[in-house]
Amino acid sequence: MIGLDFFLDRFGIFLSALFIFIGLMSFIYSLVTIKQKGHRLEYYLMLLLIVGSGVGVALSYNLLLIFIFWEISTFAIWRTVGFYRKEENIHAANITFFINFAAAAIMLIGLVILYLDNGTFNFFEIKIYNDLASVFILIGILAKSVTIPLHIWLVPAYKSVPSAIGGCLAGIAENIGVILFLRLFTAGNYFAPEFFNVVAWLAIATSIIAGGAALLSKDLRDFLAFSTISQIGFILLGFAVGGRYGMIGGALYILAHALAKSGLFYGVGIIEDATGKSDLNTISGMFKVSPVLGVSMAFLACSIVGFFPMIGFFAKLGVIVGAVEKSGYFGIGAIVAAVFTILYIIRFYNNLFFGEKIGKIKNISYTGLTVVFILALVSLLLGIFIYFPENYLIGNGGF
Amino acid sequence: MSANILGFEIEIYYLVILLPLIGGLFGYLINRLRTEFNFVGFVLTLFFAIKLFIISRNEVISQVTATIFGFDAKIYIDSLAGFILLFNAIFAFLIWVYSLKAMSKKPRERAYYLYIALTLAAANGVVLSGNLIFLLIFWNVLVFSLYGILLVGKKDSSFAARKAITIIGVADFAMMLGIVILLVKVGTVNFPFAPRILLNNPWLIFSYILIFIGAIAKAGAMPLHTWIPESAKVVPASTMAFIPASLDKLLGIYLLIRVSYFIFDISGSMPIRIILMAIGAITIIAAVMMAMVQKEAMRLLSFHAVSQVGYMVMGIGTGIPIGIAGGLFHMINHAIYKSCLFLSAGSVEHRTKTTQLDNLGGLGTKMPVTMFTFIVAAFAISGVPPFNGFYSKWMVYQGVVELSGQTNLWPIFLIAAMFGSVLTLASFLKMIHSLFLGQRPKVLNKVREARFDMVVPSLILASACIVFGVFAKAIPLKHLILPALPFEIGEIGFWDPRLATILIIVGVIIGLIVFLLGTAKKPRRSKVFVGGEILDEEAARITGPNFYSSVNTLGMLKKTYDFGEGGAFDFYNYLLGITRGLAVVFRDVINSLIVAFYKYIGKLIKALGNLTSALHTGELYNYIGWMFLGGIIILILLVL
Repeated sequence: MIGLDFFLDRFGIFLSALFIFIGLMSFIYSLVTIKQKGHRLEYYLMLLLIVGSGVGVALSYNLLLIFIFWEISTFAIWRTVGFYRKEENIHAANITFFINFAAAAIMLIGLVILYLDNGTFNFFEIKIYNDLASVFILIGILAKSVTIPLHIWLVPAYKSVPSAIGGCLAGIAENIGVILFLRLFTAGNYFAPEFFNVVAWLAIATSIIAGGAALLSKDLRDFLAFSTISQIGFILLGFAVGGRYGMIGGALYILAHALAKSGLFYGVGIIEDATGKSDLNTISGMFKVSPVLGVSMAFLACSIVGFFPMIGFFAKLGVIVGAVEKSGYFGIGAIVAAVFTILYIIRFYNNLFFGEKIGKIKNISYTGLTVVFILALVSLLLGIFIYFPENYLIGNGGF
Repeated sequence: MSANILGFEIEIYYLVILLPLIGGLFGYLINRLRTEFNFVGFVLTLFFAIKLFIISRNEVISQVTATIFGFDAKIYIDSLAGFILLFNAIFAFLIWVYSLKAMSKKPRERAYYLYIALTLAAANGVVLSGNLIFLLIFWNVLVFSLYGILLVGKKDSSFAARKAITIIGVADFAMMLGIVILLVKVGTVNFPFAPRILLNNPWLIFSYILIFIGAIAKAGAMPLHTWIPESAKVVPASTMAFIPASLDKLLGIYLLIRVSYFIFDISGSMPIRIILMAIGAITIIAAVMMAMVQKEAMRLLSFHAVSQVGYMVMGIGTGIPIGIAGGLFHMINHAIYKSCLFLSAGSVEHRTKTTQLDNLGGLGTKMPVTMFTFIVAAFAISGVPPFNGFYSKWMVYQGVVELSGQTNLWPIFLIAAMFGSVLTLASFLKMIHSLFLGQRPKVLNKVREARFDMVVPSLILASACIVFGVFAKAIPLKHLILPALPFEIGEIGFWDPRLATILIIVGVIIGLIVFLLGTAKKPRRSKVFVGGEILDEEAARITGPNFYSSVNTLGMLKKTYDFGEGGAFDFYNYLLGITRGLAVVFRDVINSLIVAFYKYIGKLIKALGNLTSALHTGELYNYIGWMFLGGIIILILLVL
């Protein structure tokens, strides 16, 4: 029933490399920002657990094993969200834990049904997909990958999580849902097209609605949360529409979004530490304070919007080609979501970086700045030399 | 065709992208040698662009160089691309020369040159791409560099930059969808499309419209133009001359012609053509009306940069070969005279430190060369013969007139175009008066002519206005425009600019003789006084800005102007308004639904908890009762 059932395919290696890189960046950034004496050791344990569980989900083919990693990830998120141990942190941690755990419990029922029907937890051998089981598993996936209507835990979670590990949340923990979706559902032709159409529309709706919320949000963390929700919608859309471009687009989107969003998270953390504020409307003129931060964040923001020199362009292009191949209406929906993305990103960037400096601004830590810069540089280089990730993904045994 | 650079064999078409990039990047990094690096970048690019232009006259270069992301990275240079490439390089070079003095010691000067070089590289990339996906990639780089260059402002220009990147970015995404739909429905996005695609399927029409949106947003036609007047207030004149006045027009109209007559074939689709011409007509009239009442030089010019796009779009929309050729010719003419106007006005600003028309005047004797270039370009834009603007407008008019058999709407378009021309002349008379004629304010008495490297680019452009007008048939049409288009164009009207030029010159000479003979009365000069008090000359100065103030105080029009100045016709405001409105609905309605959902789940769980806790009263006989009940149920189940 359960063993250490791991396998290596190109997608899994690609994801593991990405997750470990994101984890490393987070670790470096943590060294300078996490100064609490008491539970610092626990923090690094949780950081490693998040990275490890992400890699575990990416590399195992046993559904039960995946579920165990899934729960380890939930547990680690719960501990890190409540890291500062204040009243509101604990409340946010509880919401996070409750929703993730409840959805995972429902998912477990689905997994058990699959086991009873097929006699195995190995997802290569699962051929009979019970409708009810699929819906149950989908609920677990949607909760983990913050899709509406199960996205609600992310906003309080982002508000209370230390910025040093927020990048890991955005880059690793929220991706494992879509990874399971890809592994389990898109392997064969077991589903009616309606199933994927519903998921695709759900993804588009999530992306647009969360984009709207990001356009209105005043708090930096709210903004990051809604932006993450809206971008993960694109990943799910890519996998749901399928096809060669949809798959590659979705996979590249995981890469682009993990790099860019963790970079933005650290950048926001730097800005919060420097200004002591987190209201988007009261911070401005940061470009003069640190041009390096401004340029790096501009690159990261462009990667999220999907402008060319960045990897995000190819990710978005792939998803949109995949969507249009399935149906032109998906394409229109994806473009509307992309328009929301460009609007909220520009508002965020312009508000933070231009205008007059307000208030007193402390010095900026160079370690954090280096991390943001490296992430921006990697996004840029991967975009220019797109054939490395692309060839890797479409090579022998890839998509 | 390859070139040997430092021992490496490199194809020329890579060089026109790489050279400006390298020149700009190294110039940015090594500030001390910036001018040298930029010189190498721009001059060599110009050299190779000329070479490519000459090659493209005789053969079409079509080569797949690599396959990236499943798409062919194809180079495709036909005579249209060669022609646009040449002018990209020329304008970039002229603007660079002009900037050497105009931008020196200005804040963020270093970044400015980097962005100019980056823009040139990306623009060349757009023109060279033989695949729409790669065209989109370079188009994206242009968004990036546009944002950067607009941020290099005279004052805080972040709002203008934000507006520009929003509008252009949204249009870019529209274009992306259009290209993807084309890719999926047709199966390829490689040039050349043979046969051309007919608009016979709703998805294909949709795809055409989306790419069209991308093109006109770049060219700056209504309603996607509003970032141009916005940035005119805050960025240097050379930026305006480079991006909205020349390069954006070249690229936008290039894409429009490409997509309308090389990829799709819109000549069979009357409704689309009427939409194009209507957009053209509205753009001409509305923008020129706004231009007439402006009080600031750059903003006035920027509205003309929008208005003139109308002629190009209208010409291309006619679907008549001569009209399309006219649209293309007008594009190149516009790039020439409008960058000349911006540069001349920039020279005035450089010396006087102001662009408010109220504070200027009488500079003709102080800056004669600038006055000459400005007047030539102003007459060209107003369509005064024999300058180039007249000839291309004339061709557009002919295209519209030839529509007479196909649609009954042609007189409206013709009247709009001609009326727009009249209003253009009117607003330039006002501007010429405000800058160069009239009385000079005392503060401007020490103004000198701009330095030669600022004057020379304007002079070159002004002489191009004359040459392209007088020898229109022999030079630009024969060598640039007609070879670039895929159809035969018959006789171009009966207008012979050479004869007309001779007649005009004769007329001017006769006028001069009459003037010099002294038969014309000299004006009488006397002091101005009110109630016996002699007025200061400053107070009695007649400035230009109020020439047409009766227009915007005129009942109906006043309201429209108020709306216009208030941003009622601004696509950006609508875009933001609609998306924010939608966002509020999403946030409030859907979030409250979700919150309610969770609340009820919470309530449900609480109710369940209450129920079970109600069973646990803590009294022993209760539990014994439950045990009995349970035992009985188990017994019954066993028996059954």
